[in-house]
Amino acid sequence: MRVLVIEDDLEHADFIEKVLCEAGHDVETVEDGDSGLVRAREDSFDALVVDRMLPRKPGLQLVEEFRNGGGTTPALFLSALSDVNNRVEGLKVGADDYLAKPFAPEELVARVEALGRRQIQGEPPVTKLKVGELEMDLLARKVTRADQRIDLQPREFKLLEFLMRHAGQTVTRTMLLEKVWNYHFDPQTNVIDVHISRLRAKIDKEFDQQLLQTVRGAGYCLQA
Amino acid sequence: MKSGPFAFVRTTTFRLALVYSVLFALFSAALLGYLFQATVGAMRTEAKARLESEFRTLAVAWNTGGPRRLEQSLLERSLVQVRDFTYQFETAEGEVIVGDMPYMPVEKAMPIGVVRSVTFEVERPLSDRAPEITKIEGRITTLGDGSVLLVGIKMDERLRLVGRVTQAVATAAPIGVLLALLGGFFSARYAAGRAEALTRTAEAVMRGDLSQRADVHGSGDEFDRLAEHLNAMLSRLEELMSTTRHAGESIAHDLRSPLSRLRNRLEVTLRGPIDEMTARETLNQTVDEVDKVLATFNAILRLSRVNAGAEGRLQRLDLSELADEMAELFEPAGEAAGLTFSSDIQPDLVTQGDRALLAQAISNILDNAIKYTPSGGRIQFSALSHEETVEIRVEDTGPGIPDADLERVKERFVRLDDARTQAGSGLGLALVEAVADLHQGQFTLMPGHGLDTKPGLIVALVLPKDI
Repeated sequence: MRVLVIEDDLEHADFIEKVLCEAGHDVETVEDGDSGLVRAREDSFDALVVDRMLPRKPGLQLVEEFRNGGGTTPALFLSALSDVNNRVEGLKVGADDYLAKPFAPEELVARVEALGRRQIQGEPPVTKLKVGELEMDLLARKVTRADQRIDLQPREFKLLEFLMRHAGQTVTRTMLLEKVWNYHFDPQTNVIDVHISRLRAKIDKEFDQQLLQTVRGAGYCLQA
Repeated sequence: MKSGPFAFVRTTTFRLALVYSVLFALFSAALLGYLFQATVGAMRTEAKARLESEFRTLAVAWNTGGPRRLEQSLLERSLVQVRDFTYQFETAEGEVIVGDMPYMPVEKAMPIGVVRSVTFEVERPLSDRAPEITKIEGRITTLGDGSVLLVGIKMDERLRLVGRVTQAVATAAPIGVLLALLGGFFSARYAAGRAEALTRTAEAVMRGDLSQRADVHGSGDEFDRLAEHLNAMLSRLEELMSTTRHAGESIAHDLRSPLSRLRNRLEVTLRGPIDEMTARETLNQTVDEVDKVLATFNAILRLSRVNAGAEGRLQRLDLSELADEMAELFEPAGEAAGLTFSSDIQPDLVTQGDRALLAQAISNILDNAIKYTPSGGRIQFSALSHEETVEIRVEDTGPGIPDADLERVKERFVRLDDARTQAGSGLGLALVEAVADLHQGQFTLMPGHGLDTKPGLIVALVLPKDI
């Protein structure tokens, strides 16, 4: 993926660049809002990582102008401001995700990669998802593995859908809590892990190949 | 403000009192003046009118019947004893025809037909006391045959009345003005004194003594109300200051331990031989420690923002739905911890709330319940409806909390001894308390019903019901 990072704190920008490069992405870094907007418009990136507090043009304004100008590149806000209202503001101007500082490198990579996957233009809405022999019919709300029917609770269905849409990518616990449950906080207990192991028991237990993997120190990955 | 016996002179209250005193004095003077005019003036006018009329009547008698008729009229009048009037009728030569006045108060050579007004005094010697002096207002004229007629009206009684009224006015006016000034002076001094007391309290507070309180006299006047409000404000401020100070100390304390651990580990690593293995391990541990510190900072920040009311927007919220979701989210974690997790959620519980903050608060409560209840225990999660409130209630069969600590655990960074070994910032319940405050609700910890052998704990978050 080609990622444009707009961040004025050089040390931080360096960190982000290193983390994303290691994960195999091309990164270009710009230090202020004005040039960030210019670069985002003149080149085609797969994702934008935008700090909220930038010299010359604040991140909110940058993304808003970019969207108003027809730009569709998915954008992720980075910010030290982390309460729900700030998040809502960010999403309202057209950002696709919001990550509070400080963050774990795995969290950033997972979220940037999740953004890239969304960027497929003019695609008809997906009605079937498939990862290896695991299949999900979104209309019939039916899940099968190797043609064996698997019964899921509504929330388990939603959780599996999210994992299947991001198959091959690492998704973090926080992402799951945000996207599947729509909550923005860090539970201290392992609530997500337990839901994952219940799901794993339903889709992987009787099979040799384990599709739902735990990625140490990061989260989970569904992969054939 | 500089104090001193006359400091109140500079106060607004004093100036107002002065202005009102002056206005009062002016008003009294005007009233007295009017009274004087209305009584004395009217009396004079009336006396003159009567004199005029009497004089004209006698002039008519002269015109119609000459000296005879006039003399007769005068005699009749002296018989009737009209007390006010006095008459003197003399011939041109000064011989008295009717009348008892000792002399004519005018030189003789007055032309015929001219009427003159005269005011004079008549002294009548009395044997036993000082001579009686009578003031007389009169009309005098020379008649056709050269005789002279004087008609007078005695003004004594009237003048005495005038004197009395004048005296009363002269006495009352200065007393009124004095009273007004005194009243103003005392009320100004009282008000200035009360205001000064409030100022002194404020000054003491400004110097840093937050324990100062303004005097409340108990009369319930505006100064009392002001003092009460000032005191309430000071209490709130003192409470906040103490919370802040306490929190500051706790933060310092809570962050010092992980930071010094961190420093020691780095120090030890630096002293020993550094191969890649040890370096990597130390750095990994360092990252973990720093993450914990950052997490604590975030929790503190969040707590402060909620406490300050900077976070959270209250809107109509279906608490039953939220509770269902939380039960669904936590139930597997409870089961995984070997607990029986049951929920009883009444439908259609509605409150004014912030979904994210309430979710965080409920999550903190459930986190604790799962963390502290030993395997094999039970957690009962309920959402209940009361008359005017809705309640989220979590009851567990854990070790409970000693009664003495039930309130204390809600404070920041308070962690009971057996909790020290558990992960957590010590801010979880403080956040629940802050969220409860924000919702004008109540957060209570109570001893459990002892469902099992352990005492257990009941945690209740009570919120106002939205109608």
